[in-house]
Amino acid sequence: MIPDLGVFFGLLSDILGYWWIIIPGTILGIVVGAIPGFSAANTIIILLPITLAMEPATGMIFMVALYTSSRLGAGIPAILVNIPGTAGAAATPLDGYPMAKAGRGQQALAISFVSSVSAGLITTIAAIILIPWLSQVAFHLHSVEMIVVMLFGISLIATISAEDKIKGLIAGLFGLMIGYIGADVVYEAPRGTFGFLELYDKVPLIPALVGLFAISEAFVVIERSTILSKQGEIDRQHSGWGPTFEGIRATFVHWKEVIWTSLLGLVIGVIPGAGAAIASFVAYQQSRLLSKTPELYGTGHIPGLIAPESANNGVTSGTLIPLLIIGVPGGATAAIMAVVLEYHGVNFGPDLFETQPLIAYGSFTAMLVTYVLLGLMILPLTRYFSHVMVVPTIYMVPVLIAFTLVGSFVPRAYVFDMGIAIIFGIIGYIARRTGYHVAAILIGVILGPLLENYFLRALRISQGDLTTLFSSNIGNTLWVLLVLSLIIPGLKRYRGKAGLRKAK
Amino acid sequence: MQPEPEQKPRNILPDCIIPALALIFTLYYLTTITEVPWISQASAIVVSGLLLLSILAFIIRSAWRIRQHQETLRIKGTLLVLLGEKPLIAKRIALLTLAIAYVWFIDGLGFTLTTFVFVFCGIILLSSRDNWKNALKVSLSCTVIGYFVFIYLFKTRFPEGLIEHWLKSVL
Repeated sequence: MIPDLGVFFGLLSDILGYWWIIIPGTILGIVVGAIPGFSAANTIIILLPITLAMEPATGMIFMVALYTSSRLGAGIPAILVNIPGTAGAAATPLDGYPMAKAGRGQQALAISFVSSVSAGLITTIAAIILIPWLSQVAFHLHSVEMIVVMLFGISLIATISAEDKIKGLIAGLFGLMIGYIGADVVYEAPRGTFGFLELYDKVPLIPALVGLFAISEAFVVIERSTILSKQGEIDRQHSGWGPTFEGIRATFVHWKEVIWTSLLGLVIGVIPGAGAAIASFVAYQQSRLLSKTPELYGTGHIPGLIAPESANNGVTSGTLIPLLIIGVPGGATAAIMAVVLEYHGVNFGPDLFETQPLIAYGSFTAMLVTYVLLGLMILPLTRYFSHVMVVPTIYMVPVLIAFTLVGSFVPRAYVFDMGIAIIFGIIGYIARRTGYHVAAILIGVILGPLLENYFLRALRISQGDLTTLFSSNIGNTLWVLLVLSLIIPGLKRYRGKAGLRKAK
Repeated sequence: MQPEPEQKPRNILPDCIIPALALIFTLYYLTTITEVPWISQASAIVVSGLLLLSILAFIIRSAWRIRQHQETLRIKGTLLVLLGEKPLIAKRIALLTLAIAYVWFIDGLGFTLTTFVFVFCGIILLSSRDNWKNALKVSLSCTVIGYFVFIYLFKTRFPEGLIEHWLKSVL
């Protein structure tokens, strides 16, 4: 199934001929990725009349360009104003925003872009080479294994709340409980919905994201003239192109981090339903675990920004694999791509790579071209994007509140969701003022329903037998790794303290 | 060397708000799952149990610290922790009210008019009435750009009202 180099370069030249559709797709993707509520999936739905009218290959290339660049775009507001454009960028502000507040926004953007583009290129090439093997991953990861993968992500709650574990746990578990609102996936029994029909389908993610990050942050920053801290204002005055180059250099210094977190994203992306949010949380948690300086995470630490950005871009190519090989989309955007291609009579499966290589391999080649274009287009913009940081809050706050609230309306077209965003805004504001981590709440809200879905499926299949959780070899291996990842930081701390005592 | 000034015990009443909200919500949630099959209850019961344990640990720790005079529990000063100094309290409450009004009216009046009024009032609220010219420029440009990009070009599902309907018939 792997194409030889001649075929690949032939495809590459074919794809380059579609520059006229890749460039607008890329620009549009960056814009919609950066605005909460305007995900690539929503935009492709809005543009369905256009994509359906195109040739299947043209439509697919346009959708791939839009999807790829939206992933990168989501990191921009996450770094500059603490608002992740999509749930996949929810771990980006953990270290990106502290960097921006400290006047290193331009450098943070460059790091985010270079790690995203590098991760995208690495994983796309890896996907082309490893398609036969990666397509098998989804067959081996069932509900039981996915429960452990979710728990890896959820264990980040304990990691990011290092300052006050009890508060961190309360925030994360509160988030998980909020995530359990709605009808369950097996019996459709409504739980904790306060009688609102709008909550039967779980708590919508975009309003939760908008409230916890954007609205709460807006209410906090009004006490300052700009988002920048005082030191940040001083540091920023001396910036030219230097911080961009520093960011590029810093990313390449951490090349190992880029490679392994992007490959982690690729593998998670292959699993249908997993998605970028899980990948970025797991990558951040694992990056911190393996770091020699875990205490620096959350303070504007470069690997803390590289890990989630590389992982969520690694997911992008991964989600296409199950779609093209077995017709099962790996995420919402891939599902809509499937609809468009099925409309054109495209039959998914291994044969697709023989019968319509322009669609099958062309999708990955289009991704490569998009990532190269993205790198060229967006890096020079870091300097100008970072000016957002100096917009006075008196103007920024009302505009931010208005547009993010409307953004939370867009996915479902319920004004109710704007109300939810305000409620989450109040919760997020109180949490910020009293030392609870809003990211911990959000991790719970995002991963809670997913964890429960897999848990319910596993129990349903095993007819309620809890030992099913330890019934597979892969699952058991993952359990051991999870336990190790929870124990190792404690052991490291203990060893460090013991070493200090000895030194005294 | 001068002796270090004795540290004031920290008021932890504001810190109790999130645990209190979590506790109230969890108890409510548990009342809604009494009738559902146990498989649907299992996951939530485990998580709510862990949450209640964490809240208990928080209470025990706080009680211990209060006994040690490291922390205190008092209403006075709570508002200051939550909403900041006096001028900020008024601004934050007014901005929240404005945001609620925005959500309330947007369904009937539509995106364009409501956003214009919200952004204009928001800027005046956070700065001063003298800034009305800039407020007008920013709110007008935001609204016009928002309308043309999202509603006119991308046909995004934004709340529509009188202005949107009128513009649709004109453009």
